[in-house]
Amino acid sequence: MNHRGGLALIRATWASWLQHRGFFFILAFGWMIPPLIYLLVWSTAAGARTLGGLNRSEFVAYYLVLILVNQLTYSQTNWTVGDLIRYGQMNRLLVRPLSPLYDALASEVAGKVVYMVFDVPIVAALALILRPELHLTPRNALAFIPALGLAWMLRFFWGYWIALLAFWATRADALLAVQDALIFLLAGQVAPVALLPVGLRSAAIVLPFRYMVGFPVEVLTGQLDTSGLWTGFAFQAGWLVIALTLSALVWRVGVKRYSAVGG
Amino acid sequence: MRYLRLIVHFARASFQEEAAYQANFYIGLLHSLLNLATGVLGVLVLFGQIETVNGWNLAATSALLGVYLVVSALRSLFLGPSLEALAGMDGEVWTGQFDFTLLRPVDTQFLASFRKWHPFALFDLVLGLGVLGVAVTQLSQALTATHLIAFLVTLMTGVTILYAILLVFAGLVFWSPGILFTWVFDGLFQMARYPLGLYPGWLRLVLTWVVPVGVITTVPAQALTGTVSVEVLAGSAGLAAALLVGASVLFRFGLRRYASASS
Repeated sequence: MNHRGGLALIRATWASWLQHRGFFFILAFGWMIPPLIYLLVWSTAAGARTLGGLNRSEFVAYYLVLILVNQLTYSQTNWTVGDLIRYGQMNRLLVRPLSPLYDALASEVAGKVVYMVFDVPIVAALALILRPELHLTPRNALAFIPALGLAWMLRFFWGYWIALLAFWATRADALLAVQDALIFLLAGQVAPVALLPVGLRSAAIVLPFRYMVGFPVEVLTGQLDTSGLWTGFAFQAGWLVIALTLSALVWRVGVKRYSAVGG
Repeated sequence: MRYLRLIVHFARASFQEEAAYQANFYIGLLHSLLNLATGVLGVLVLFGQIETVNGWNLAATSALLGVYLVVSALRSLFLGPSLEALAGMDGEVWTGQFDFTLLRPVDTQFLASFRKWHPFALFDLVLGLGVLGVAVTQLSQALTATHLIAFLVTLMTGVTILYAILLVFAGLVFWSPGILFTWVFDGLFQMARYPLGLYPGWLRLVLTWVVPVGVITTVPAQALTGTVSVEVLAGSAGLAAALLVGASVLFRFGLRRYASASS
């Protein structure tokens, strides 16, 4: 593995993306709106009461953290990998003496930097206006870091194996749209998982989507007891192993089918 | 009459273009159903926790969601595809293809607004009307003829406001080719999924007076439930008329700046 080349690629992509930041700021704005809508709707609905154990300020804290976590774990690379395969542009990456995975990682890192430059000031301003209430304990803060890292890896590799299906089907990106819809419903965006109706909640706990966004947010905002925390990590790690295996498998079989032309 | 006949021809030509791609049909179907499911479940989850918020209950909010889906469907049926063809780096204004629109012996604004259709949006229209129909049967009071007329008038007003806003963006393309205005607007337009009453006061003012997307869906939904006042009716009709005139003037003013390709 050529790690030095990989790092150089990451740095170059990062610098180039920061040059076009206006465009990426607009994208980040678009991604921020859905969680922002639910922040406002739930905090208005809570009013002076508590809903599902959360009061108005706790809803604000939950969704402000969710806006950041959603952006940090969102992997837009998954949408471009499929295009590279479909249009035959994968050639350029395959002849390089480093793994094409680095190309995806480079845009991942570049994206996170550019989007955070936009998101952090806005979330800070919203926090000043809306006055969130966050009971941060050292345990939750400490557990948040691995939960966030695993969430990013899970969301990235889960999308990566789906995107690689483009080796077989030209419109595989339709499956990515399904994944986005499921994340919207089950990963704590439409409502914190604890507030979902029973059927949806059980589905959310078993399926991988909650572990891509909602789980780290619940950890940081202190919604989970010790057993909830450990079960969460177990599910997250289990789904990550499955996602990594599927990605490696689909890549190995798929790249042999790659015919280097569009279509 | 001549204009109506032209619209029929435009729609037929667009249908023939679109019917050539069958796989896209099924993917479009999938997207529409996902959009419907996430919208409906979002409202159901909220009202699973709470009976009413600021006077909005499940039936009234579902009716508003129906209005949102209907208006969005009308937008992607013809307003969106026609006007967005002007914008962007490969848009008609930047590449000079707008010459062919200008040369036709019909009103340019009419042609620019009605020539491209996306017939698949009719399916979205049916889904939206379905949500609206179900919601109306759930409303606590029966639908009277007055309410129905007020609803149809306010729906027309809402669509006119949306058209005026999109026409302003199309007009701005003559100064700068970017498609960015539309993207920012798309984000704000999503806020029209929920009633204005569910947002904090300052945002309610912004969504009524600065970017009046709230008026587009909230007022028709209020007309259905009979909670709209005569002042609001008159006010939104006045706003629609003023915006339409302003947008048309801006568009004509922009047209004079057009200097064909490589300008």
